[in-house]
Amino acid sequence: MAVRVFTFLVGGKAGEGVKKAGSVAAELFASMGRRVFQMDDYQSLIRGGHNFSVVSTSAGAVDSHFMSADLVVALDARSYEVHRGHVRDGGTIVHNSDTVDGDGVGVAMTTEAEKLPNPELRVGVAAVSVLGAAIGLDREALARCVADGYGRDTERNVAYATAIYDAVSGKLGGRFSLGRGPGRLPILSGNQAIALGAAAAGLDLYLAYPMTPSSSLLHYLAAHERDLGVVTMHPESEIAVANIAVGAAFSGARVMVGTSGGGYALMEEALSLAGMTEAPLLTVLSSRPGPSTGVPTYTEQADLRFALGQGHGEFPRVVASPGSISEAFDLAAEMLDLVWRFQAVGILLTEKHLSESAATVEIDVDGAAWADPLIHGGGDYMRYRDTGSGVSPMLFPPSKGVVKWNSYEHDEAGITTEDGPTIAAMHDKRNRKGDAMVGYIRERRTVNRFGSSGPPIVTYGSTTMSVLEAVRAGGIEARVVQPVYLEPFPAWELESLRDERPVVVEQSSTGQFAALLREKCGIEPAAVVRRYDGRPFDPDELARELERSLG
Amino acid sequence: MKDDLDTGAEKTWCPGCGNFGIMNAFRAAIGKLETKGVGRDRVVMSAGIGNHAKIFDYVNLSGVYSLHGRSMATIQGMKLANPDLKVVGFAGDGDALGEGIAHLIFAAKRNSDVTVVVHENGIYALTTGQRAPTSPRGYRGPSTPGGSVENPLNPLVLMLESGATFVARGYSGHVDQLADLMVAAIEHEGFSFVDVLQPCVIFNNRYEQLNEIVEPIDGPPMEFDEALAAARVEEPLRTGIFYRAERPSHEGALLGGRNPFKDHPTREARLTAVDDLLAKH
Repeated sequence: MAVRVFTFLVGGKAGEGVKKAGSVAAELFASMGRRVFQMDDYQSLIRGGHNFSVVSTSAGAVDSHFMSADLVVALDARSYEVHRGHVRDGGTIVHNSDTVDGDGVGVAMTTEAEKLPNPELRVGVAAVSVLGAAIGLDREALARCVADGYGRDTERNVAYATAIYDAVSGKLGGRFSLGRGPGRLPILSGNQAIALGAAAAGLDLYLAYPMTPSSSLLHYLAAHERDLGVVTMHPESEIAVANIAVGAAFSGARVMVGTSGGGYALMEEALSLAGMTEAPLLTVLSSRPGPSTGVPTYTEQADLRFALGQGHGEFPRVVASPGSISEAFDLAAEMLDLVWRFQAVGILLTEKHLSESAATVEIDVDGAAWADPLIHGGGDYMRYRDTGSGVSPMLFPPSKGVVKWNSYEHDEAGITTEDGPTIAAMHDKRNRKGDAMVGYIRERRTVNRFGSSGPPIVTYGSTTMSVLEAVRAGGIEARVVQPVYLEPFPAWELESLRDERPVVVEQSSTGQFAALLREKCGIEPAAVVRRYDGRPFDPDELARELERSLG
Repeated sequence: MKDDLDTGAEKTWCPGCGNFGIMNAFRAAIGKLETKGVGRDRVVMSAGIGNHAKIFDYVNLSGVYSLHGRSMATIQGMKLANPDLKVVGFAGDGDALGEGIAHLIFAAKRNSDVTVVVHENGIYALTTGQRAPTSPRGYRGPSTPGGSVENPLNPLVLMLESGATFVARGYSGHVDQLADLMVAAIEHEGFSFVDVLQPCVIFNNRYEQLNEIVEPIDGPPMEFDEALAAARVEEPLRTGIFYRAERPSHEGALLGGRNPFKDHPTREARLTAVDDLLAKH
């Protein structure tokens, strides 16, 4: 039976290879030319607990995972209990009969794994095998999938996979028929897209202290230092990260840092330093539920106000949030260019649901922005020369001109000042620079619009993916409006919504985004649909809520 | 701007302040480095926040006037981005041994090829005399009027134990020696730490006491264990290079000869690299 979206869910304990099974499944679907979205749900632990990976695939567009699956594979008892309620009509659940006393199709996955070394690590392969059988792969195709997907211990993995396949084919074989899609696209996670986008714009150095859900950005760039030529460093703290970054920018390196809310709090003083010294600094803030330590491996959009208000004192900054993994690539490049063009602080705001989900992407590498600062053309040099645009030409050592960056208020030469008129003039200069940045951004695309008729739904960041899929899955006639830029806020694009009373969708318990729309544009939403249990929206559930709210 | 490295900014240190000695030694050191082929445009500086840090406004060199406690981090970024630069960070004892102690320890641990000069006056002078991490037990200041109930840190011992490969003590009253120590520190490839005894004439005037007990080290730098023991000795209070070792610098090891700033790629080269990596996904 052919469906628009086919969803595969695998659940088990941490350490059983659940996420890997999900990735291999995603890769399998992509190799069929299909579109893919993978969401991994995992806990803040490294052994035991409960993990699951959901992969939704379509021959057409798919912007989210679905929490009701056509095929669920439960590797342990908890997964069976939790996910038996996530099986759609016409779907099926397959369980590990060694660990689960359940109904339906059972396979002795652990017994079979114990015939080989490292059985605890191998069990996840069974999930891929069950999937292969269920979608009608033949044994050879499954063997290729397992060999390519796992890339190690191939002989044993293939032997194991084949044994599981043989055990289930009779009960499941070819139950779901998936057609080919339009063509093979690469699969990237949000963090990987950000990494590649920044690299495409000329990133030289990435600094970070590990903190979920930003760590994979560090890991990816560190693993590919040689491939990309981007230097990575993991210093002693986020405070070190941010201050080393300002020093690196002084010497002319295009630098980026990344973290989550708590780490960003530690960087705040250095952001103000960047504002005063006019250091080009691109930061990635990938949110998880807060406050404080919060829920490290889950998702939320409650750092919006925090991002907008970062750093004591007044200085221009740009805050933007990508609405898809493909967009994250473009936005990272665009923002690296912006911060160097205007010697400003940039915050690429995202959250776990985008950072750590993966999807097939359509990326135009040649279209990426390239960061290039305004360089001093000759003659006497003053680091903070007051210009019409507020942007002072840069110079990097070694140089004849002395380049002084200063955290104190300063004169044009960068020497500390307490002189009234100079203080006022420098405030004016930085504000003028902020205006120039707004003027530049205004000429560009700051808001995405989807759909041409129906009432408006306004959302941003990763929630955009959920809303688009909800509208599609629910067959809802609505226009989706997604601001990419949050500071400067594209009020000029959104003011007309004031008369329409849109539905706002966000993952903040207090409705921070709705409040921002109200503040900047006078928009009074008809409803604010919020989810703040750490989970992303499920498109089917969201579709029902949207229908209610859109009336 | 005069050629003697003076920005012309008004000097707001007290007459007799130890900071003048440090600044004069530094300016002399720059001159000496120039005769050895290190142009002054290759030397960049940073300072924290405090009276020590005003050196940034007075010396006409490029650099970053950083945050309290953070110049040790700033300088590592300055060096990492362009390892051809010679980077010198000035810090007060509050900066280096309080607020920013983690950055100091890690700079030493990494053997980052930068030089840190600490203006050790035993107090926080700019904020009117509170105790510093180097103040003795019993020190009476505005925040500890009953006498500090903490023991001081020994910066040289801390640096030796943290892996610094050049550890020296200087005295702002002995400018010539200090200039030579700074030259040696800057020329050393690896982390150089120079703790400078710097009397504050207002809040902690130790000139008389120091002139009695300060004595230059008689001989070459010591082996590690000997240096550690010598660093703990308070009388005589030795000045000079306690320890020097050659170990791979952080930047050398991490960059493998690359210079992120100078080797910034062309757009074409970088896009090709991104395309190639994307194809593996």
